[in-house]
Amino acid sequence: MKITDACVHPYPAGDSTLARMAIEAAELGFDSIVAIGDAGNRYPGIEVLRGAVICAASQKEVVRQVRSPAVRDADVVFVNAGDTSFNRAVAAVKEVHVIRNIHATRRNAFDHVAARTAAERGVAMDISMAPIVHLRGTKRQKALQRYADILSLQRRYGFPLTISSDARSILGQRSVRDIRGLCALFGMTGAEVGEALSSVGRITEPHQPVRVVE
Amino acid sequence: MKPRPPTMRAKRRYILARILPYRMAADQKQVYLSLIEAATSLFGDAAVGFAQPAVVFCEGGYAVVRCRRGTEKDIATALATVSAIADERAALRTVAVSGTIHALRRRMKPIRPLSGAGDVKFGETYFTVYRYPRQKVDLVEKGIKHQKSLFFTEVDLEER
Repeated sequence: MKITDACVHPYPAGDSTLARMAIEAAELGFDSIVAIGDAGNRYPGIEVLRGAVICAASQKEVVRQVRSPAVRDADVVFVNAGDTSFNRAVAAVKEVHVIRNIHATRRNAFDHVAARTAAERGVAMDISMAPIVHLRGTKRQKALQRYADILSLQRRYGFPLTISSDARSILGQRSVRDIRGLCALFGMTGAEVGEALSSVGRITEPHQPVRVVE
Repeated sequence: MKPRPPTMRAKRRYILARILPYRMAADQKQVYLSLIEAATSLFGDAAVGFAQPAVVFCEGGYAVVRCRRGTEKDIATALATVSAIADERAALRTVAVSGTIHALRRRMKPIRPLSGAGDVKFGETYFTVYRYPRQKVDLVEKGIKHQKSLFFTEVDLEER
């Protein structure tokens, strides 16, 4: 079971290089991280996976971007969430691994239909710590409401969850213990946090029937 | 005034938090104000008033925070939501929780900059280099106020 930070944005998107973020993540108790837009390298004590984020307005555009070489080389493919119909459609796209940025969408943008599709296809929902850490007031309250709503759907339909720091700096990375405390704010139990932190490994290497190789 | 007998006193817990970035010389009062702002916005006045958080001291890149026993998890969560100290980007990372300051002092391992500080130029900007153990390198833009910081490693610096 690998504890994974599902999304970090290293330099030049942020102010910390991938190597530095990898060192910090290892110190904070992670076994692997998913770096957006950078090559997957091996650093001592931690595995770095390559991630790609698709930002699109329609399913057609998502399917087109999924075929681009940069996305095809990625270990984990993220799509930024949109409105209800978009999320329902994206949850059915085979190449998509994770739907992220759900805190920035309208209420019920990810509904029970999308949840059922995500559970059938094994598409995960990402819970980002950045809004809880950096936002204040009503914006943070809305983010916590969205996450509580996602959690209730997850308990009902059983789609995977991932947890990311969404950090652009080492100052934005949080330890596994801090993440447990932050997730408790919207009712996530310690066991659910552990499950979510280890789900990237199950997404990238899903259970498949045993094949006999001669 | 006669002090309250020990059995009548409120039980306390102490939280050891590391202050990032390493070079930040955080003032005790500024850390307290950041903590109170973060905790109040997260849990509200009533919960923070009950927890009675206070910064006991800041030294060697660490802050020791005191709170009422039973509220240490909430205060540790509030510490995780601190993103600035005195208008400077910062983070507080919980290292340990204990019933005595003495136990926390044993966990404090001050990180001091290594020798070999210098200057580098990226594009048109000059940065001061601070080197730390485990090949960590912090670059701080030269200037008077609101300097940009970059967080590299020795290998990253050599490649540029």
